[in-house]
This record gives sequence, C-alpha cells and structure tokens, in this order.
Amino acid sequence: MPDTHFYRYDDYDRSLIAERVEQFRDQVRRRLAGELTEEQFKPLRLTNGLYLQLHAYMLRIAIPYGTLSSRQLRKLADIARRFDRGYGHFTTRQNLQLNWIKLEDAPDALAALAEVDMHAIQTSGNLIRNVTADHFAGAAVDEIEDPRIWCEIIRQWSTFHPEFSFLPRKFKIAITGSPNDRAAVRVHDVGLRLWRNDQDDVGFEVIVGGGLGRTPLIGKTLREFLPKEELLAYLEATLRVYNRYGRRDNLYKSRIKILVHEVGVEKVREEVEAEFAAIKDGALKLAPETIEAIARQFAPPPLRPKRTRVPEVEALKLEDRDFALWLISNTAPHRVPGHAIVTASLKPAGAPPGDASAVQMEGIADIADRYSQGEIRVSHEQNLVLPHVAIEDLPAVYKALRRLGFAEANVGKITDIIACPGLDYCALANARSIPVAQRISLHFAELARQHDIGDLKIKISGCINACGHHHVGHIGILGVDKNGVELYQISLGGDVDFGKTTLGTILGPAVAADKVVEAVDALVATYLETRRTGERFVDTYRRIGAQPFKDRVYGAV
Amino acid sequence: MAKNLSGDLQVASANRLVDGAVVFLDGAGQWTERLERAEVARDKRSAEILLERAKTEAFDIVDPFLVAVSEDDDGRIEPLSLREKIRASGLTFAAIAADAVRYA
Repeated sequence: MPDTHFYRYDDYDRSLIAERVEQFRDQVRRRLAGELTEEQFKPLRLTNGLYLQLHAYMLRIAIPYGTLSSRQLRKLADIARRFDRGYGHFTTRQNLQLNWIKLEDAPDALAALAEVDMHAIQTSGNLIRNVTADHFAGAAVDEIEDPRIWCEIIRQWSTFHPEFSFLPRKFKIAITGSPNDRAAVRVHDVGLRLWRNDQDDVGFEVIVGGGLGRTPLIGKTLREFLPKEELLAYLEATLRVYNRYGRRDNLYKSRIKILVHEVGVEKVREEVEAEFAAIKDGALKLAPETIEAIARQFAPPPLRPKRTRVPEVEALKLEDRDFALWLISNTAPHRVPGHAIVTASLKPAGAPPGDASAVQMEGIADIADRYSQGEIRVSHEQNLVLPHVAIEDLPAVYKALRRLGFAEANVGKITDIIACPGLDYCALANARSIPVAQRISLHFAELARQHDIGDLKIKISGCINACGHHHVGHIGILGVDKNGVELYQISLGGDVDFGKTTLGTILGPAVAADKVVEAVDALVATYLETRRTGERFVDTYRRIGAQPFKDRVYGAV
Repeated sequence: MAKNLSGDLQVASANRLVDGAVVFLDGAGQWTERLERAEVARDKRSAEILLERAKTEAFDIVDPFLVAVSEDDDGRIEPLSLREKIRASGLTFAAIAADAVRYA
C-alpha cells in the first residue's frame, strides 16, 4: 500500500479521539440504562455525529477536506458492513453518512473509525464544522497552493475550541487553492480563496456571509488579501465577532450571513479588524516552521512525468465510444504531465446519488492502491475522485470502475445530480429527493444525449435547508409539502463557478412529483433549440432569460 | 374506502431507543414495529390519554408523538401524511424506481 501524502495523526490526535470514544461509550451505556434522559443525551450524541432520523440513527462521519486513504475507505466499508446495511451515502459536505446505525453499536463504530484516525467530530452542533476543500487539491493543474494544508491547520485550531463550542449556529468554512473554484467558497459562512498578488505573495481572499438554506446569500469579501501566517488570528477575530453579535433569539436568523446582511459587511469588517489588531501578533500568528511542518505532510506523491499520448488509450477511444466519452467528462488535467485526475461517478443511471456499497468502496480502495497512490477524494458533488492516475493506466482504471458500476461518463452532465437524502431518510425533509433524481437519471440515461446536452448541473433538496444546494443548480429543484402533497419548485440559473456565483431564480408555480421529469425535459428542449455554439444551458438561460423556458414548461405540465 | 380522513383517528409512535426503529404503542402498552397492532384513539380525549400512556411507557423509546391515520372498511390503518407513511413502511426507492423504468 503506498504511503499517504496527507496529514498523519500523531499521538496527541490519537489520544484525543480515543478518549472521546470512551467518553461516548459511557454516555451510551448511561442512556441505555436510563441514567440519562433523551434531553440530556441528545446533545452528547449529536457532538459525536449521531443523529436520529426517520427510521434509524444516522452516523455522520467526518472526512476532513474530503481526503481519504485506501485504508480508511476500506475501514468505512467494513463499518458499513458490520454496523449498518452494507452501504453509505457520500454527502455534499464531503462526509459519509451511515443511515442504519444502532445506538448500542455506535461506540464500537467510532472505535473502529479511530483505528484509521477518523471520527465523527465537528459533524453536528453549533460549532466550526468539518472544513471542506477543492476535491482536486494537490493534483489540479490550475492550483496555486494545496488548500488542504490550511484545512488541516484550521482543523487543529478549531477542534474542541472552547470559545467556539456554542456559537449562535453552525459555522462552515471552505477553501480553494485554484482560481477555478471547485469548493463553492462563496456560499459558505467563511470562504477562503488562495491567490497570488502583484508582489508575488500568496495569501487569502476572505469571504464571509455566504450560505444557502432558507435565506440564500452570496458571501462578501471581508479582506481582499490576508497574509497566510495571519489566517488563524483573522478567523479567531471573525468568529469572536460572530459569537458576540450573531443572533441567538431566532434560529432562522442565527447564521453569520444574516449578521452580515443586517449590519453590512463594512461594519462586520470594522469589528473584525479591531479584534484582529488586538490579537494578530499573539499566539495564533503562525510561525513559518509550523506551516512548513504541516505542508511537508502534504508533499506531492513522487510522480514522474510520463507519456501524454498513449497509443493504447488512443486506440480504445476509437473502439469504445463510452470510454471516449468518459475521458471527456470524467478525467481532468493533472499537474504532472502524463497523469490525470479521474472522477468515479457515484451516479450510475437510476441509482441514489452518492450511495456506495461496501463492495464498491473496497473496489475503489483497490483501484486507488494500484493506480492512484492509495488516495481517494470525496467531492461535494457526491462523487469519488482518484487524484493521481497515469494516462497509460486509464483503460485499466476505466474497466475496473465499470465493474463497480462507477464508470458512467456523466460527470458535470445532466445525470450527475446532487440530491440530499430527502424525506426517505431525513427528519427535516418535506419531500423526497432521491426518487426524483432517479427518475431524471433514467430519463436522460443515454450517454451520447447527455454529452450533446453538455454541462448541466441539477441539484435537488427535499426542504428549504438546501443540503442538495438547489439554489446554485443550473436547474434547482426544491421539494415542498403543500397540504400533504409533494410539489417541486424549479429554479434556473444558479451557479457556483468562481467570479459568477449566482443564485437561481424560481421559474413559476411548483409542479407535481410526476411532472418533474417532463418539466426538466421541456427545459432541456428549450435550451437545445435556442443555444448558440459553445453555450452551456446556464449561458443560454442568461442570454435569453426565463420566459421561453417558462412558456415551454408550463405548456407541457 | 378510507374513512376518518379528518385526522380524528390517531396512533402513538416513537423511535426505539436502542436502534431508532419506528414503533407504535399497542393496546397492551407494548411498543411494536407493526402498525396494524397499534392502538387507535378515536377521539380527542382518547388521543390525549394515548399520548400520556406513551409518555409513561417511554423508557425504551424516544420522543413519542401522535400520528393521524385513516382506517378502511376492513380495519386497516394507514398514516395520513407521506412522512408518516414512509416512517411506517420504509424507503420508497424500489417502488419509485419501477415507476421510473416505466416512465423512461
């Protein structure tokens, strides 16, 4: 098994997690013995990632910055098999959810996770959540610096941070190290974008107050350029201002985005900068050797440049149309010549988006060991990524993924749908999401048609909390409950491409569940008839506006 | 034909503490996974009593509450809301997938 090229836990990390598991084991024992009431126990289980959903407990496992080793993925498969129903659901926050965990098994599941330096900390509660990052980090050709170094520094600072354990509400941070944002940084409480200034220094643009949910807002720039060594002090100052002024009287107004919206980013900046000035030269100023020590653990794998044009690959492209399409949609350029980043689509036709069985997880781990330096990434678009594959190995990787059912050539296409668990699982949902995604997926399953339609992102949420990111879908679909009937509100024009992060606009009245596919079909037909060369669906929408789409959809349904 | 759609008929439900499974309170004061065994309260007063009983039988369950149901002529009961239908009968994927295949 190859060495991993990301942060490895030390004894301190391991003892922290081990202690936490034993604490929770005792808490579960006391709850089952009736020594703790549910009211007393609920916050304890939630801080260990254990939610109670419609049919069962759900364990949300943290996958920090979406990075996994093959060993860790095999352990996740093992836990899914031993303690759940043999599958898991990769989420839009790069986590894994197991939907059928028993309370009595949860401590053992957490102990098994701890064996591979994993846990469920920071996956619930009003605190700084698991930090997310570009899923191509450390491999992308357009990357300025690996954002995971900074995710890990934030993880070490934020885990069990005593001052920020009871924030007004949860707090999500995302980081991108590339100009082409793949981490949706403008729709997070704090988004960080690494960039290089005119003096050739690399630092952060700090973006604050973005978010989806009930009140979708695009984040605003709090600091144009922050020197890297000042990151923690600046975040500490930002969290202090939020902790002090964030609303605790109204759940729906408690996120930092509402504070920024209500008082203005200028006022928030004034407060943050004043706080920052008081602490910036203190203990949180990052010493170069501290940064270097973390950065060393993310040293790139020892890849040597290889042939970029491989006759076997070219031959298979001509022979196998699906492989040719897969190369177009599911591979991305790698920083080392002769290599590629491969996305394994967890969206085979008609399958629940983001679900993987234990066998499939083990299969991906095997492929990663053999062809991708033992590394896997989870994308916020609910796919798995093999970040370091030699181009000459692409035919073998494609065949191996096909055997697992994860070689659908649909990444970025109409069937690469993001969907939250929805009313089939979630205690908060108003309507189902997964069955809607399945119907759309089956309707548009033909690959050549998908590639003709081109890049089109459909995102589905089963309630206004927007875990399915419907606000930023080219086509967003929101399930609502109207007098006990599921209806689906369609919005168009959302996008998270950097520099043009846009929230979708509601098209018109919600449509019935059995009309959603027809509505999407009408939207696609309108696009195909009116698009200009090179235009994506969302580009055509921006050019011609909503009316032609609206006329077609409401004429059809 | 379904009757009592006004929500007058109610059963007590909860999640089982040890595994989170959906359970219903039966006439003997036991929690069961089988909806057909649930005790049905037929008026407001009975429903209040049923909920109180559920709360006193709450050692092994979490957060009991009342679920509005309908009852057909054969005495079969079914939750009124989709959410409670899904809680009572499980994931809808298989049924929907079959529909989707036909639709496609």
